[in-house]
Amino acid sequence: MARRLMEGSEAIAEAMVAVDCRFFAGYPMTPFTEILERMAEFLPPVGGVCMNAESELEAIGMAWGAAATGARAATGSTGQGLALMQESISEMCTARIPLVVINMGRGQGDYFQATRGGGHGDYRTPVLAPSTVAEAVELVPLAFDLADRWRNPVLIYGDYYLGHTSQAVEVQSKDHASTGRAVADKPWALDGSTGGSGRAKLLSSLGEAKQRDGVGYDLAEHLERAGAATLEMGAGIEPFCDVGHCDDADLVVVAFGTIGRFVRWVVKELRSEGHRVGYVRPITLFPFPTEAVVEAAAGARSVAVYENNLGQMIDDVRLSVLGSCPVEFIGGLSMDSSGFGVGPEIDAPKIRARILAELERVEAR
Amino acid sequence: MSEREVLLTGIGGQGVQLAARVLAEAAIVDGKEVQFFASYGGMMRGGNTDATVVVADEPIDAPPVVAKAWAVLGIHPAHLADPLARLRGDGILLLNTSVVEVDGVESPDGVTRLELACSTVAHDVGNPMAGALVAVGALAASTGLVELASLEAGVDRALPSYRRQHVESSVAAIRAGAELVA
Repeated sequence: MARRLMEGSEAIAEAMVAVDCRFFAGYPMTPFTEILERMAEFLPPVGGVCMNAESELEAIGMAWGAAATGARAATGSTGQGLALMQESISEMCTARIPLVVINMGRGQGDYFQATRGGGHGDYRTPVLAPSTVAEAVELVPLAFDLADRWRNPVLIYGDYYLGHTSQAVEVQSKDHASTGRAVADKPWALDGSTGGSGRAKLLSSLGEAKQRDGVGYDLAEHLERAGAATLEMGAGIEPFCDVGHCDDADLVVVAFGTIGRFVRWVVKELRSEGHRVGYVRPITLFPFPTEAVVEAAAGARSVAVYENNLGQMIDDVRLSVLGSCPVEFIGGLSMDSSGFGVGPEIDAPKIRARILAELERVEAR
Repeated sequence: MSEREVLLTGIGGQGVQLAARVLAEAAIVDGKEVQFFASYGGMMRGGNTDATVVVADEPIDAPPVVAKAWAVLGIHPAHLADPLARLRGDGILLLNTSVVEVDGVESPDGVTRLELACSTVAHDVGNPMAGALVAVGALAASTGLVELASLEAGVDRALPSYRRQHVESSVAAIRAGAELVA
């Protein structure tokens, strides 16, 4: 396969179609719009369906229906649209329906929304945060695999930079014939059959079967089972991250996504000048790479967190190190006039200045 | 080759985005790693337009907005100050003398300056909107950043089907740029 110059949005869309995503629905909103446009271009030729829905509420409802039939389905938006989808995401978790959600954020103010969510119930969604186009192309198949394996919505959390940066990347051909694998492995899928049970299949946040001798559901039993599946998923997914230069670092800087990429570049530059600084870039935001953060911070005098928000992931960093070393916030919200998250502070020299100031403060202690 | 960052700055209508894309496509033809990030205003002509292209042999570390530039192509002076501040002390500064007053643009002693009438040359080859392509042709010819033949192939890869009529004059602009530094 040949490498091609592809914008992040195009590459993500191609990667989705290449792993048999055959249904997509969304409502345009920067910086998510190009994903929707590309899916509208790519899906019909392979027999898939892409819907420009009336709103994000309808988009996720449509994707919910498609996913319930066993098809690989996805939706997406930016934080504002994801806000509207929260109820459906939580209901799909409890109903145990796989879905991939492409969350192209504006800045990083939706970390809590992505990793905690604003729906109801004992649910969690795995979150994958790529920092380059090539990494996004690798994480898309993983997102679909995790969604299918754990029967749960999975988020990919990108941003304007990821969507609009072009790289030379290789994506498995989107034109290959569908394997049908996705549907075959889903005995729960609503395919019109009873699956040999003689009873109607049911996919609902209230339960998978109505009680035989009465109307209604046994919610105690269903929620216990759904909760156990959520716990099993949280424990069963191996968190991972990108770690560098932490061995003898006085200061470890934690940052994710595009910001993590800037931080990594700055840390490498500072290292080449002899500064004792390292970085951790979490790639799975849930489950959070707690052990890796603990290990990286073990020899450090302090941990700094850089996010393009007022401080959200810092909670997960603090929950990881549990007071064993100080954790300081060195980020901050940086916005453009359109609010797309392309702020003037998102620039290596400025991020360098903040890291260097924190390093000097730590070393002076 | 370590990472080579090329910053192009101009105004809408000078072909900056096309030239950046052609350069990125040429790097792929050469088998190199490449990254391309563009920013431009809403106006089709006259608004600021910038592009960052990073070319390397290894996977690219640089974030989309780079801290340092190996080369700055000043196609128009309006927004030159920011990219110029990022130019490495031993970098390359190409100025489009058709619209840039070069005496007013200072650069460190170690910088290699290429002062070329890119827009005039583009006009002369029949493609007045290809000033940035002339600059990219000159940069490639003088530094070997990408092969000239790859740049020409890049035009073919970068232009969409409804712009095929511009392939020939775009290639002519690249060749004319290369000849300026031959």
